[in-house]
Amino acid sequence: MQETDIDEKITKAPLVAETKRQPEQIMDIKVSAKNVEAFFGKSKALHGISLDVPTNNVVAIIGPSGCGKSTFLRCLNRMHEVAGGSRKGTIMLDGESIDNYDPVVLRRRVGMVFQKPNPFPTMSIFDNVAAGLRLNGMGKKKKAIEEIVERSLKQAALLDEVKDILDRSGTSLSGGQQQRLCIARALAVDPEVILMDEPASALDPIATAKIEELIQELKKNYTIVIVTHNMQQAARVSDQTAFFYLGQLIEFDVTDRLFTSPQKKQTEDYITGRFG
Amino acid sequence: MPRHFEIELDQLRTNIIKMGSLVDEQIDLATMALIESNTEKARFVIERDKKADEFDNLIDAQCERIFALTQPVATDLRLIMAALKINHELERMGDIAVNIAERAISLQYHLELLRRSRVIEMSSIAREMVKRAIDSFVNNDPELAREILPKDDLVDNLNKTIFNFLVSEMKSDPSIIEPAAHIIVLSRHLERLADHATNISEEVVYLVDAKIVKHHAEQ
Repeated sequence: MQETDIDEKITKAPLVAETKRQPEQIMDIKVSAKNVEAFFGKSKALHGISLDVPTNNVVAIIGPSGCGKSTFLRCLNRMHEVAGGSRKGTIMLDGESIDNYDPVVLRRRVGMVFQKPNPFPTMSIFDNVAAGLRLNGMGKKKKAIEEIVERSLKQAALLDEVKDILDRSGTSLSGGQQQRLCIARALAVDPEVILMDEPASALDPIATAKIEELIQELKKNYTIVIVTHNMQQAARVSDQTAFFYLGQLIEFDVTDRLFTSPQKKQTEDYITGRFG
Repeated sequence: MPRHFEIELDQLRTNIIKMGSLVDEQIDLATMALIESNTEKARFVIERDKKADEFDNLIDAQCERIFALTQPVATDLRLIMAALKINHELERMGDIAVNIAERAISLQYHLELLRRSRVIEMSSIAREMVKRAIDSFVNNDPELAREILPKDDLVDNLNKTIFNFLVSEMKSDPSIIEPAAHIIVLSRHLERLADHATNISEEVVYLVDAKIVKHHAEQ
């Protein structure tokens, strides 16, 4: 190879740092929270949270127990209100307030995966994934349901492990498989946003690695907000990270930067384990 | 009660500071050996370099252990990254002290040429840079570190001046070719010493301010 060719290749090659997502880049915003306050009775759990979740990004929310991160997540699909809480401030999904949506329709677009895998115990693996589809009136379209179940299991990286045992109970699977089954169930109704509340905290390291790998795959098609206690996990899987403390958003930045040079001392102290 | 992790970080810092003091002293002794034509001091420096090498291995192992076991972030991450790099710089500086000591033995009868070539003046600037670079790490002082950076140009220019002077002297008096060649190599060692001090200063700015200043990245 000629020296000039090498020079050209070097000049054209992007620097590694340039390939990272930077907040200065203009990105489509999928979910936008403005001044969100959440209450349990008279007690205020969130104090004016404003945060934008870019499309096809993974946003991680970290913070000590009781800081409001799960409450915020539950506000995004109006679960907080349904569970007896109340909320102020606006949350927009694709530029439209989520308050304009019927909660059932909203939850179809904004799916959720919980900390503890919760497959329906009396249902088979197949029926667990098909449950949402049947609830949405697809009960008689057997062929379509089969196709969607297969696609969802494949997207959740579970199909190869369960394709021959689809009629077995969902609870017969291992913890990690059950969690991926719940992800498949969430994917079946074709959401645009997936909320994950500590999805790997009850799993062993191998199952956790599979979930994390899956998150990287899913973000190609979905926007993901994940609450996690595991800071290394937040660092590994997310594009942006938000640090919550005592119901306030202390810092929200590109994950690389937040974990190498956080701007706020509270963030620094928390992620380095000096409090919390 | 300090956390176990913080104790490990303190130990790492302490070892870097100890190694810095050792290397600083080695450079001082080597240049004194040069100025005083003291071969005993020079041999002492050569013999003692293995202590710097031991620190190098110890600090590398400590950093590796902390990375593997604690997955540090933020300031802690920057401290360990800076420690690894500063350790490497100090080890190289220790080797340069040995190189200077070896030249001190070779040049023990050529003090006059050493003075005229300005290499002693150059050694004094490089030593000051080393001391300040180590101080900036010890005191977590990025301002002091930044003050050191422009001095590197001064040393680079002196290196060129000394080279030109000695070439001219050799042309007019071929009998000095051998000591002059030693001084040219010595001057190059001092120039590298200043480079290493500059690198340490850049790491201190990164450690404290989280800003990359090496290769003029900040401009």
